[in-house]
Amino acid sequence: MMLENWLEQLRRGTLELAVLLSVAGGPRYGLEIIRHLEEFTDLVLTEGTIYPLLSRLARDGFLTSEWVADEAPHPRKYYRLSPAGRGRLNNMCREFDAFTTKIERLMKAAGKEV
Amino acid sequence: MKLTDSGESRIRGYLYVLERSLRSFLSPAVAADAVREVESHIRDSVMLAGDVPDERVALEGILERLGPPMRVAQAYSLELVMDEAATTGRFMAVLRSLAHAATTGVTAFFAAFGLFVGYSIGAAFIVVAIMKPIFPNNVGFWMTPDGMFVSGGVNFPGVRDGLVFHTSYWIIPIALLIGYGLLLLTHSLARRWIGWFRNRRRSSLAPR
Repeated sequence: MMLENWLEQLRRGTLELAVLLSVAGGPRYGLEIIRHLEEFTDLVLTEGTIYPLLSRLARDGFLTSEWVADEAPHPRKYYRLSPAGRGRLNNMCREFDAFTTKIERLMKAAGKEV
Repeated sequence: MKLTDSGESRIRGYLYVLERSLRSFLSPAVAADAVREVESHIRDSVMLAGDVPDERVALEGILERLGPPMRVAQAYSLELVMDEAATTGRFMAVLRSLAHAATTGVTAFFAAFGLFVGYSIGAAFIVVAIMKPIFPNNVGFWMTPDGMFVSGGVNFPGVRDGLVFHTSYWIIPIALLIGYGLLLLTHSLARRWIGWFRNRRRSSLAPR
């Protein structure tokens, strides 16, 4: 139970980074982002909760969104990184990398294989 | 997968519940945009499902992965309304968050109710201070005949038999001080509680 909670905290903490990374290569719509996350991570999302996060990132200015009506029988909302979002993503990647490096060093010092 | 009328009806029902839930705390335009996006997700998932032997099973699977509409609405409230309340502390955002939190469970209801009471009492003191110059002979404080303070407020004749009603302009700074202090204290508690509530809910809504 305790490990599950800890894993949830980890997932929660990295979800924003994962979403920003998903649109770093170009614009994607909601289901595409979810499928991309499922392809590269073991974050099995409750799919509906990704949209509020996308909405908040757009509201905070890290993503821009645009409805595209003519590529499917129904309209799709595409998200792309804004300049502010790219800056945030770069900072998050740098911090995350530094963080994991320190933890790896700590694990090695404790004799745990990474 | 081409949906039958029954499948279409199931989707409309889901979206109807979602929109009703979202409209309780989001503006109609934001709620409509959110519903449109979730509908787009469902239509995309249906399209990707291809030909399936049982439409009902396939559709229920899609909606199950999406999550119940109330849960999706809760996630929106968490990301939008409660974030705004916790980070900016805007009075209306805090009130909206409290109103929404109150609908999520018994404990949350009583916590939100207590905070509403705190705001109301603080506001009542401010109102007393404002009313004093307007109704100088009706705003004051009650004391027992032997000089013990009982309470302050607006005098409604006959309500407090046996007490002496004193009208003094000292009630203005005292009421302002207490009212403002109570509002600040309640607001600070409300922000802390919303922050705690938001983190707890984020944990429970986290991907599994």
